[in-house]
Amino acid sequence: MNLFKTKFDAATIVLIPACIGINYLGKMFASLLKLPLWLDSIGTCIGGCLGGPVIGAICGAANNLIYGFTAGDNITLIYALTSLCIGVAVGIMSRLGFMKSFPKAILTAVVAGLVAVVISTPLNVVFWGGTTGNVWGDMVFAATQAAGMPVLLGSLLDEIVVDVPDKIITLIIVFFVLKGLPQKLTALYDANAKVERLD
Amino acid sequence: MKSISLYIDNGSWLCRMHPFTKLAYIAAAISVPLLAGRLWLFAVFIALSLAVLASGHLLKRVVPLVAFSFTILITIFLIHGLFNQQNRDILFSIGPLHFYREGLLYALHIGCNVLNMLLSFAILVLSTKPSELVEELEKRGFSRRMGYIIISVFQIVPQMMGTMNTITDAQRSRGMETEGSLATRAKAFLPLISPVVMSSLINTRERAVALEVRGFAAKQKKTYLADRTPRRGDKPITIVLLALIVLAVIWRIVQCL
Repeated sequence: MNLFKTKFDAATIVLIPACIGINYLGKMFASLLKLPLWLDSIGTCIGGCLGGPVIGAICGAANNLIYGFTAGDNITLIYALTSLCIGVAVGIMSRLGFMKSFPKAILTAVVAGLVAVVISTPLNVVFWGGTTGNVWGDMVFAATQAAGMPVLLGSLLDEIVVDVPDKIITLIIVFFVLKGLPQKLTALYDANAKVERLD
Repeated sequence: MKSISLYIDNGSWLCRMHPFTKLAYIAAAISVPLLAGRLWLFAVFIALSLAVLASGHLLKRVVPLVAFSFTILITIFLIHGLFNQQNRDILFSIGPLHFYREGLLYALHIGCNVLNMLLSFAILVLSTKPSELVEELEKRGFSRRMGYIIISVFQIVPQMMGTMNTITDAQRSRGMETEGSLATRAKAFLPLISPVVMSSLINTRERAVALEVRGFAAKQKKTYLADRTPRRGDKPITIVLLALIVLAVIWRIVQCL
Protein backbone atom coordinates (compact mmCIF):
# COMPACT_ATOMS: atom_id res chain seq x y z
CA MET A 1 0.00 0.00 0.00
CA ASN A 2 1.34 3.36 -1.01
CA LEU A 3 1.13 5.93 1.80
CA PHE A 4 0.97 8.99 -0.41
CA LYS A 5 -1.16 7.64 -3.23
CA THR A 6 -3.82 10.20 -4.04
CA LYS A 7 -6.81 10.33 -6.34
CA PHE A 8 -7.38 13.65 -8.07
CA ASP A 9 -10.87 13.23 -9.48
CA ALA A 10 -13.92 15.43 -9.09
CA ALA A 11 -14.88 13.73 -5.81
CA THR A 12 -11.64 14.62 -4.01
CA ILE A 13 -11.58 18.11 -5.53
CA VAL A 14 -15.06 18.70 -4.09
CA LEU A 15 -14.03 17.26 -0.74
CA ILE A 16 -11.42 19.98 -0.19
CA PRO A 17 -13.76 23.02 -0.14
CA ALA A 18 -16.19 21.08 2.05
CA CYS A 19 -13.37 20.42 4.53
CA ILE A 20 -12.34 24.06 4.47
CA GLY A 21 -15.94 24.99 5.20
CA ILE A 22 -15.98 22.55 8.11
CA ASN A 23 -12.84 24.15 9.52
CA TYR A 24 -14.58 27.50 9.38
CA LEU A 25 -17.68 26.16 11.12
CA GLY A 26 -15.64 24.53 13.88
CA LYS A 27 -13.87 27.78 14.56
CA MET A 28 -17.17 29.68 14.53
CA PHE A 29 -18.91 27.26 16.89
CA ALA A 30 -15.95 27.38 19.24
CA SER A 31 -16.12 31.15 19.42
CA LEU A 32 -19.92 31.12 19.52
CA LEU A 33 -19.94 28.78 22.51
CA LYS A 34 -16.94 30.67 23.91
CA LEU A 35 -14.84 27.53 24.26
CA PRO A 36 -11.19 28.17 25.09
CA LEU A 37 -10.04 26.07 22.09
CA TRP A 38 -9.58 26.71 18.39
CA LEU A 39 -11.20 23.60 16.86
CA ASP A 40 -10.33 24.99 13.44
CA SER A 41 -8.75 21.86 12.00
CA ILE A 42 -11.68 19.43 12.05
CA GLY A 43 -12.04 19.66 8.28
CA THR A 44 -8.31 19.32 7.66
CA CYS A 45 -8.28 16.11 9.69
CA ILE A 46 -11.34 14.74 7.89
CA GLY A 47 -9.66 15.55 4.56
CA GLY A 48 -6.50 13.79 5.67
CA CYS A 49 -8.39 10.71 6.82
CA LEU A 50 -10.58 10.37 3.75
CA GLY A 51 -8.26 11.50 0.96
CA GLY A 52 -4.83 10.74 2.40
CA PRO A 53 -1.87 12.93 3.39
CA VAL A 54 -1.73 14.92 0.15
CA ILE A 55 -5.38 15.96 0.33
CA GLY A 56 -4.94 16.71 4.04
CA ALA A 57 -2.01 18.95 3.21
CA ILE A 58 -3.94 20.79 0.50
CA CYS A 59 -6.94 21.24 2.83
CA GLY A 60 -4.75 22.65 5.57
CA ALA A 61 -2.68 25.02 3.47
CA ALA A 62 -5.57 26.19 1.28
CA ASN A 63 -7.67 26.80 4.38
CA ASN A 64 -5.26 29.30 5.88
CA LEU A 65 -4.32 30.87 2.55
CA ILE A 66 -7.95 31.44 1.53
CA TYR A 67 -9.00 32.97 4.82
CA GLY A 68 -5.81 34.97 4.99
CA PHE A 69 -6.18 36.45 1.54
CA THR A 70 -9.91 37.06 1.45
CA ALA A 71 -11.50 37.18 4.88
CA GLY A 72 -9.02 39.67 6.29
CA ASP A 73 -7.74 37.24 8.89
CA ASN A 74 -4.16 37.46 7.67
CA ILE A 75 -2.69 36.41 11.00
CA THR A 76 -3.69 32.86 10.04
CA LEU A 77 -1.59 33.18 6.90
CA ILE A 78 1.69 32.36 8.62
CA TYR A 79 0.15 29.28 10.21
CA ALA A 80 -0.55 27.72 6.80
CA LEU A 81 2.59 25.65 7.35
CA THR A 82 1.22 24.30 10.64
CA SER A 83 -2.10 23.35 9.06
CA LEU A 84 -0.33 21.69 6.16
CA CYS A 85 1.74 19.52 8.48
CA ILE A 86 -1.29 18.60 10.60
CA GLY A 87 -3.05 17.43 7.44
CA VAL A 88 -0.05 15.35 6.39
CA ALA A 89 0.40 13.84 9.87
CA VAL A 90 -3.25 12.87 10.24
CA GLY A 91 -3.33 11.53 6.67
CA ILE A 92 -0.32 9.31 7.24
CA MET A 93 -1.59 8.06 10.60
CA SER A 94 -4.96 7.27 9.08
CA ARG A 95 -3.39 5.37 6.16
CA LEU A 96 -1.36 3.38 8.69
CA GLY A 97 -4.64 2.34 10.31
CA PHE A 98 -4.48 4.63 13.33
CA MET A 99 -8.06 5.87 12.95
CA LYS A 100 -9.70 2.45 13.19
CA SER A 101 -10.37 2.36 16.92
CA PHE A 102 -10.89 4.98 19.59
CA PRO A 103 -7.59 4.52 21.51
CA LYS A 104 -5.64 4.62 18.24
CA ALA A 105 -7.46 7.82 17.25
CA ILE A 106 -6.28 9.39 20.50
CA LEU A 107 -2.72 8.45 19.57
CA THR A 108 -3.21 10.12 16.18
CA ALA A 109 -4.45 13.20 18.02
CA VAL A 110 -1.34 13.34 20.19
CA VAL A 111 0.88 13.04 17.11
CA ALA A 112 -1.06 15.80 15.34
CA GLY A 113 -0.89 17.98 18.43
CA LEU A 114 2.88 17.55 18.76
CA VAL A 115 3.38 18.27 15.06
CA ALA A 116 1.38 21.47 15.50
CA VAL A 117 3.48 22.41 18.54
CA VAL A 118 6.80 21.81 16.79
CA ILE A 119 5.84 23.87 13.73
CA SER A 120 3.95 26.65 15.51
CA THR A 121 6.44 27.44 18.26
CA PRO A 122 9.14 28.97 16.02
CA LEU A 123 6.43 30.91 14.15
CA ASN A 124 5.05 32.22 17.43
CA VAL A 125 8.48 33.31 18.59
CA VAL A 126 9.32 35.05 15.30
CA PHE A 127 6.01 36.81 14.75
CA TRP A 128 4.57 37.35 18.18
CA GLY A 129 7.56 37.12 20.47
CA GLY A 130 6.16 33.88 21.89
CA THR A 131 2.47 34.46 22.62
CA THR A 132 -0.31 32.50 20.94
CA GLY A 133 -3.36 34.70 21.42
CA ASN A 134 -5.12 32.05 23.50
CA VAL A 135 -5.97 33.14 27.04
CA TRP A 136 -4.86 30.01 28.88
CA GLY A 137 -1.71 29.51 26.83
CA ASP A 138 -0.66 33.12 27.24
CA MET A 139 -1.08 32.93 30.99
CA VAL A 140 1.36 30.01 30.99
CA PHE A 141 3.74 32.04 28.81
CA ALA A 142 3.54 35.06 31.11
CA ALA A 143 4.25 32.81 34.10
CA THR A 144 7.32 31.24 32.46
CA GLN A 145 8.66 34.66 31.48
CA ALA A 146 8.13 35.98 35.00
CA ALA A 147 10.04 32.94 36.26
CA GLY A 148 12.93 33.82 33.92
CA MET A 149 12.71 30.82 31.58
CA PRO A 150 13.88 31.23 27.97
CA VAL A 151 11.32 32.50 25.44
CA LEU A 152 11.47 29.34 23.32
CA LEU A 153 10.70 27.06 26.27
CA GLY A 154 7.90 29.32 27.48
CA SER A 155 6.40 29.45 24.02
CA LEU A 156 6.70 25.68 23.69
CA LEU A 157 4.78 25.16 26.93
CA ASP A 158 2.28 27.78 25.82
CA GLU A 159 1.66 25.78 22.62
CA ILE A 160 1.50 22.38 24.32
CA VAL A 161 -1.12 23.58 26.78
CA VAL A 162 -3.32 24.80 23.94
CA ASP A 163 -2.61 22.60 20.95
CA VAL A 164 -2.57 19.07 22.33
CA PRO A 165 -5.99 19.23 24.04
CA ASP A 166 -7.33 21.04 21.00
CA LYS A 167 -6.21 18.29 18.64
CA ILE A 168 -7.45 15.52 20.95
CA ILE A 169 -10.95 16.97 20.96
CA THR A 170 -10.76 17.64 17.21
CA LEU A 171 -9.85 14.04 16.43
CA ILE A 172 -12.48 12.64 18.78
CA ILE A 173 -15.06 14.58 16.76
CA VAL A 174 -13.48 13.42 13.49
CA PHE A 175 -13.49 9.81 14.69
CA PHE A 176 -17.22 9.84 15.41
CA VAL A 177 -18.05 11.71 12.22
CA LEU A 178 -16.12 9.21 10.09
CA LYS A 179 -17.82 6.34 11.93
CA GLY A 180 -21.16 7.75 10.89
CA LEU A 181 -20.43 8.29 7.21
CA PRO A 182 -22.04 5.85 4.76
CA GLN A 183 -19.65 3.55 2.98
CA LYS A 184 -20.83 4.58 -0.47
CA LEU A 185 -19.35 7.99 0.34
CA THR A 186 -16.04 6.93 1.90
CA ALA A 187 -15.47 4.48 -0.96
CA LEU A 188 -15.31 7.48 -3.32
CA TYR A 189 -12.06 8.66 -1.75
CA ASP A 190 -10.33 5.33 -1.28
CA ALA A 191 -7.22 5.66 -3.43
CA ASN A 192 -6.30 2.00 -2.99
CA ALA A 193 -9.68 0.67 -4.13
CA LYS A 194 -9.73 -1.49 -7.23
CA VAL A 195 -12.23 -0.82 -9.98
CA GLU A 196 -13.54 -3.89 -11.67
CA ARG A 197 -14.50 -3.34 -15.28
CA LEU A 198 -17.18 -5.38 -16.97
CA ASP A 199 -16.26 -4.65 -20.57
CA MET B 1 -26.83 34.68 2.96
CA LYS B 2 -23.80 36.43 4.36
CA SER B 3 -20.62 36.09 2.35
CA ILE B 4 -17.31 35.48 4.12
CA SER B 5 -15.55 37.83 1.74
CA LEU B 6 -15.21 41.42 2.91
CA TYR B 7 -15.32 42.82 -0.61
CA ILE B 8 -17.95 45.44 -1.43
CA ASP B 9 -17.86 47.20 -4.78
CA ASN B 10 -17.89 50.89 -3.93
CA GLY B 11 -16.77 52.00 -7.39
CA SER B 12 -13.48 53.52 -6.24
CA TRP B 13 -10.25 53.36 -8.25
CA LEU B 14 -8.96 50.76 -5.83
CA CYS B 15 -11.71 48.31 -6.80
CA ARG B 16 -10.91 48.70 -10.48
CA MET B 17 -7.19 48.18 -10.03
CA HIS B 18 -5.66 44.92 -11.18
CA PRO B 19 -5.41 42.37 -8.30
CA PHE B 20 -1.75 41.68 -9.13
CA THR B 21 -0.82 45.32 -8.50
CA LYS B 22 -2.28 44.99 -5.01
CA LEU B 23 -0.40 41.73 -4.50
CA ALA B 24 2.82 43.51 -5.50
CA TYR B 25 2.02 46.22 -2.97
CA ILE B 26 1.60 43.61 -0.21
CA ALA B 27 4.94 42.04 -1.14
CA ALA B 28 6.69 45.41 -1.09
CA ALA B 29 5.03 46.68 2.10
CA ILE B 30 5.97 43.56 4.04
CA SER B 31 9.41 42.80 2.67
CA VAL B 32 10.98 46.27 2.39
CA PRO B 33 10.81 47.24 6.11
CA LEU B 34 11.84 43.73 7.18
CA LEU B 35 14.79 43.68 4.79
CA ALA B 36 15.92 47.15 5.73
CA GLY B 37 15.22 46.54 9.42
CA ARG B 38 14.37 50.14 10.25
CA LEU B 39 11.46 51.13 12.44
CA TRP B 40 10.69 54.33 10.49
CA LEU B 41 10.10 52.32 7.29
CA PHE B 42 7.26 50.49 9.02
CA ALA B 43 5.76 53.88 9.82
CA VAL B 44 6.17 54.98 6.17
CA PHE B 45 4.35 51.95 4.83
CA ILE B 46 1.65 52.07 7.50
CA ALA B 47 1.01 55.70 6.59
CA LEU B 48 1.03 54.86 2.89
CA SER B 49 -1.45 52.02 3.38
CA LEU B 50 -3.72 54.29 5.40
CA ALA B 51 -3.52 56.97 2.69
CA VAL B 52 -4.38 54.45 -0.05
CA LEU B 53 -7.26 53.07 1.99
CA ALA B 54 -8.55 56.58 2.66
CA SER B 55 -8.47 57.50 -1.03
CA GLY B 56 -10.45 54.34 -1.78
CA HIS B 57 -13.06 55.26 0.88
CA LEU B 58 -12.24 52.08 2.80
CA LEU B 59 -10.87 53.56 6.01
CA LYS B 60 -14.05 52.96 8.00
CA ARG B 61 -14.13 49.28 7.12
CA VAL B 62 -10.54 48.69 8.24
CA VAL B 63 -11.44 49.54 11.84
CA PRO B 64 -13.03 46.16 12.75
CA LEU B 65 -10.06 44.34 11.14
CA VAL B 66 -7.54 46.24 13.23
CA ALA B 67 -9.71 46.10 16.35
CA PHE B 68 -9.76 42.31 16.08
CA SER B 69 -6.02 41.99 16.41
CA PHE B 70 -5.75 44.78 18.96
CA THR B 71 -6.35 42.45 21.91
CA ILE B 72 -3.43 40.27 20.77
CA LEU B 73 -1.22 43.33 20.37
CA ILE B 74 -2.12 44.50 23.87
CA THR B 75 -1.18 41.11 25.37
CA ILE B 76 2.15 41.34 23.53
CA PHE B 77 2.82 44.80 24.97
CA LEU B 78 1.86 43.67 28.46
CA ILE B 79 3.85 40.44 28.46
CA HIS B 80 7.01 41.87 26.92
CA GLY B 81 6.78 45.20 28.70
CA LEU B 82 6.55 43.42 32.03
CA PHE B 83 8.49 40.18 31.64
CA ASN B 84 10.89 40.36 28.67
CA GLN B 85 14.27 38.77 29.47
CA GLN B 86 16.29 41.76 28.25
CA ASN B 87 14.39 44.22 30.46
CA ARG B 88 16.73 46.65 32.25
CA ASP B 89 15.57 50.27 32.34
CA ILE B 90 12.19 51.03 33.83
CA LEU B 91 10.28 53.36 31.52
CA PHE B 92 7.24 53.94 33.72
CA SER B 93 5.33 52.22 36.49
CA ILE B 94 1.63 51.80 37.13
CA GLY B 95 1.23 50.91 40.78
CA PRO B 96 3.27 47.77 41.42
CA LEU B 97 3.73 47.06 37.67
CA HIS B 98 6.98 48.18 36.05
CA PHE B 99 7.11 48.61 32.30
CA TYR B 100 10.59 48.28 30.82
CA ARG B 101 12.05 50.09 27.80
CA GLU B 102 13.62 47.06 26.07
CA GLY B 103 10.52 44.93 26.25
CA LEU B 104 8.28 47.73 25.03
CA LEU B 105 10.63 48.47 22.13
CA TYR B 106 10.57 44.80 21.14
CA ALA B 107 6.77 44.79 21.40
CA LEU B 108 6.67 47.95 19.29
CA HIS B 109 8.64 46.17 16.55
CA ILE B 110 6.21 43.27 16.55
CA GLY B 111 3.23 45.58 16.73
CA CYS B 112 4.41 47.68 13.77
CA ASN B 113 5.08 44.56 11.73
CA VAL B 114 1.62 43.17 12.45
CA LEU B 115 -0.15 46.47 11.81
CA ASN B 116 1.77 46.92 8.57
CA MET B 117 0.81 43.43 7.38
CA LEU B 118 -2.77 43.93 8.43
CA LEU B 119 -3.19 47.24 6.59
CA SER B 120 -1.46 46.19 3.38
CA PHE B 121 -3.57 43.04 3.24
CA ALA B 122 -6.66 45.09 3.99
CA ILE B 123 -6.14 46.95 0.70
CA LEU B 124 -6.37 43.69 -1.24
CA VAL B 125 -9.04 42.07 0.91
CA LEU B 126 -11.46 44.98 1.02
CA SER B 127 -11.24 45.98 -2.64
CA THR B 128 -10.87 42.74 -4.59
CA LYS B 129 -13.56 40.28 -5.50
CA PRO B 130 -12.19 36.79 -4.71
CA SER B 131 -13.47 35.30 -7.97
CA GLU B 132 -11.76 38.09 -9.91
CA LEU B 133 -8.44 37.38 -8.22
CA VAL B 134 -8.77 33.66 -8.93
CA GLU B 135 -9.74 34.26 -12.55
CA GLU B 136 -6.70 36.49 -13.14
CA LEU B 137 -4.50 33.84 -11.53
CA GLU B 138 -6.00 31.16 -13.77
CA LYS B 139 -5.32 33.29 -16.85
CA ARG B 140 -1.64 33.29 -15.86
CA GLY B 141 -1.54 29.51 -15.63
CA PHE B 142 -2.72 28.84 -12.06
CA SER B 143 -4.24 25.35 -11.72
CA ARG B 144 -7.93 25.38 -12.62
CA ARG B 145 -8.69 22.73 -10.00
CA MET B 146 -7.20 24.92 -7.29
CA GLY B 147 -9.19 27.81 -8.71
CA TYR B 148 -12.38 25.80 -8.37
CA ILE B 149 -11.48 24.87 -4.79
CA ILE B 150 -11.00 28.51 -3.81
CA ILE B 151 -14.16 29.79 -5.47
CA SER B 152 -16.37 27.01 -4.17
CA VAL B 153 -15.28 27.70 -0.59
CA PHE B 154 -17.06 31.02 -0.95
CA GLN B 155 -20.22 29.26 -2.08
CA ILE B 156 -20.11 26.41 0.41
CA VAL B 157 -19.50 28.39 3.60
CA PRO B 158 -22.68 30.54 3.41
CA GLN B 159 -24.67 27.38 2.64
CA MET B 160 -23.18 25.63 5.65
CA MET B 161 -23.94 28.62 7.84
CA GLY B 162 -27.56 28.37 6.72
CA THR B 163 -27.64 24.68 7.64
CA MET B 164 -25.94 25.47 10.91
CA ASN B 165 -28.59 28.02 11.90
CA THR B 166 -31.35 25.54 11.07
CA ILE B 167 -29.68 22.86 13.18
CA THR B 168 -29.01 25.19 16.11
CA ASP B 169 -32.69 26.17 16.12
CA ALA B 170 -33.79 22.56 15.82
CA GLN B 171 -31.61 21.40 18.71
CA ARG B 172 -32.68 24.33 20.87
CA SER B 173 -36.33 23.57 20.24
CA ARG B 174 -35.62 20.07 21.51
CA GLY B 175 -34.44 21.63 24.74
CA MET B 176 -30.66 21.60 24.27
CA GLU B 177 -28.87 24.31 26.20
CA THR B 178 -26.26 26.34 24.37
CA GLU B 179 -25.55 28.86 27.10
CA GLY B 180 -24.37 28.51 30.65
CA SER B 181 -21.30 26.97 32.24
CA LEU B 182 -18.28 25.75 30.29
CA ALA B 183 -19.40 22.12 30.67
CA THR B 184 -22.85 22.91 29.23
CA ARG B 185 -21.36 24.78 26.29
CA ALA B 186 -18.80 22.04 25.62
CA LYS B 187 -21.55 19.42 25.70
CA ALA B 188 -23.52 21.41 23.13
CA PHE B 189 -20.64 21.42 20.62
CA LEU B 190 -20.93 17.86 19.34
CA PRO B 191 -24.71 17.73 18.67
CA LEU B 192 -24.42 21.08 16.90
CA ILE B 193 -21.47 20.44 14.63
CA SER B 194 -21.79 16.79 13.72
CA PRO B 195 -25.05 17.08 11.72
CA VAL B 196 -23.63 19.98 9.69
CA VAL B 197 -20.38 18.15 9.04
CA MET B 198 -22.20 14.95 8.07
CA SER B 199 -24.61 16.63 5.72
CA SER B 200 -21.94 18.71 4.03
CA LEU B 201 -19.78 15.64 3.46
CA ILE B 202 -22.72 13.71 2.08
CA ASN B 203 -23.55 16.64 -0.22
CA THR B 204 -20.08 16.46 -1.77
CA ARG B 205 -21.10 13.30 -3.60
CA GLU B 206 -23.87 15.10 -5.44
CA ARG B 207 -21.61 18.05 -6.16
CA ALA B 208 -18.98 15.77 -7.65
CA VAL B 209 -21.52 14.14 -9.95
CA ALA B 210 -22.86 17.55 -10.99
CA LEU B 211 -19.34 18.72 -11.83
CA GLU B 212 -18.52 15.64 -13.87
CA VAL B 213 -21.73 16.01 -15.85
CA ARG B 214 -20.68 19.55 -16.78
CA GLY B 215 -17.32 18.44 -18.07
CA PHE B 216 -15.07 19.46 -15.15
CA ALA B 217 -12.42 16.91 -16.06
CA ALA B 218 -12.49 17.80 -19.77
CA LYS B 219 -9.07 18.70 -21.15
CA GLN B 220 -10.27 21.34 -23.65
CA LYS B 221 -9.18 24.94 -23.23
CA LYS B 222 -11.85 26.90 -21.42
CA THR B 223 -12.92 30.48 -22.05
CA TYR B 224 -13.61 33.20 -19.50
CA LEU B 225 -16.85 34.98 -18.92
CA ALA B 226 -15.45 38.38 -17.99
CA ASP B 227 -12.84 40.27 -19.95
CA ARG B 228 -10.71 42.86 -18.20
CA THR B 229 -10.08 46.18 -19.80
CA PRO B 230 -6.41 46.93 -19.17
CA ARG B 231 -5.77 50.11 -17.21
CA ARG B 232 -2.83 52.43 -17.60
CA GLY B 233 -1.75 52.78 -14.00
CA ASP B 234 -1.19 49.13 -13.17
CA LYS B 235 2.07 48.45 -14.95
CA PRO B 236 4.17 51.43 -13.76
CA ILE B 237 3.00 50.99 -10.16
CA THR B 238 3.93 47.31 -10.19
CA ILE B 239 7.35 48.08 -11.65
CA VAL B 240 8.05 50.74 -9.00
CA LEU B 241 7.00 48.38 -6.20
CA LEU B 242 9.13 45.52 -7.46
CA ALA B 243 12.06 47.91 -7.90
CA LEU B 244 11.68 48.93 -4.24
CA ILE B 245 11.96 45.30 -3.15
CA VAL B 246 15.08 44.80 -5.29
CA LEU B 247 16.59 47.98 -3.84
CA ALA B 248 15.91 46.78 -0.30
CA VAL B 249 17.58 43.44 -1.07
CA ILE B 250 20.64 45.19 -2.56
CA TRP B 251 20.81 47.57 0.42
CA ARG B 252 20.70 44.60 2.80
CA ILE B 253 23.48 42.80 0.94
CA VAL B 254 25.63 45.95 0.93
CA GLN B 255 25.04 46.32 4.68
CA CYS B 256 26.17 42.76 5.29
CA LEU B 257 29.39 43.18 3.30
